[in-house]
Amino acid sequence: MSGNVLQEYLEGKIDFAGQKLVDDIVRIWLIAATAISFVAGFALQSLLVTFSILGLSTVALLVVVIPPWPMFNRHPVKWLPVAETKKSK
Amino acid sequence: MHSIFTRVNNISAFLPSCTMALLACIALSSFLFTADPKGNLSISPVRAFPSKTNRYPRRKQEMGFVNFNISADLTSLFHWKTKQLFLYLEAEYQNTQGILCVNNTVVVWDRIVRRKEDAVINFAGKNKYAFREISSSFKKVPSSHYSLKYNVMPYVGVLTYGEAARTAEAVDFVWEEHV
Repeated sequence: MSGNVLQEYLEGKIDFAGQKLVDDIVRIWLIAATAISFVAGFALQSLLVTFSILGLSTVALLVVVIPPWPMFNRHPVKWLPVAETKKSK
Repeated sequence: MHSIFTRVNNISAFLPSCTMALLACIALSSFLFTADPKGNLSISPVRAFPSKTNRYPRRKQEMGFVNFNISADLTSLFHWKTKQLFLYLEAEYQNTQGILCVNNTVVVWDRIVRRKEDAVINFAGKNKYAFREISSSFKKVPSSHYSLKYNVMPYVGVLTYGEAARTAEAVDFVWEEHV
């Protein structure tokens, strides 16, 4: 029996390969969103366009990254089997 | 990144850095906009009346009344970063009373323009603010020059100033005894 179900939901654990993937996604997504929003706003001469593109892409990033999707859990940690304790009684 | 909290923490730390870089780029983009619009300004001779101000009722003060016509097309100053445009009409004159010749600059009218559609100015009117000389009299002032200046106020960036129109020749003062 794993622990508290609510606690697991709130923790949203992902494995190490998934963490690296999330790290890359966040960095590339935010830099690209900043660049695209600046170029689009400058071309259309509207600050509203700039900040709405930035805001919407941030919300989209939150949807992609925050919940522990199965694609981040594809390489779970392989734990070794439980070793026999060699203590003599 | 192992838990939801750390992922939120990471994003909320990187996003303000990206936003600050974006704002810096927006502020720097102001150097690409060099617009210098010009307009027309015509002033009829300024009439100076002896009158009293509300604050110092016993003091003999002369007030100047300026009637002017302004026409200018300032739409080229509105770009994506412009929040509003502050226009002001300045009177510059020299007071030759005493030993030194003192330069004076008085703002007699101003207007705030918030939209590009309102940036075409065709205005005929009189001064909004009291035009009075500190030494209470305009008698020693030979003539005055008027200039329409603007100040571009951006959402983020540096304030820029410019001059849109100037009177070519000096405007004389006409003294009246009573209203």
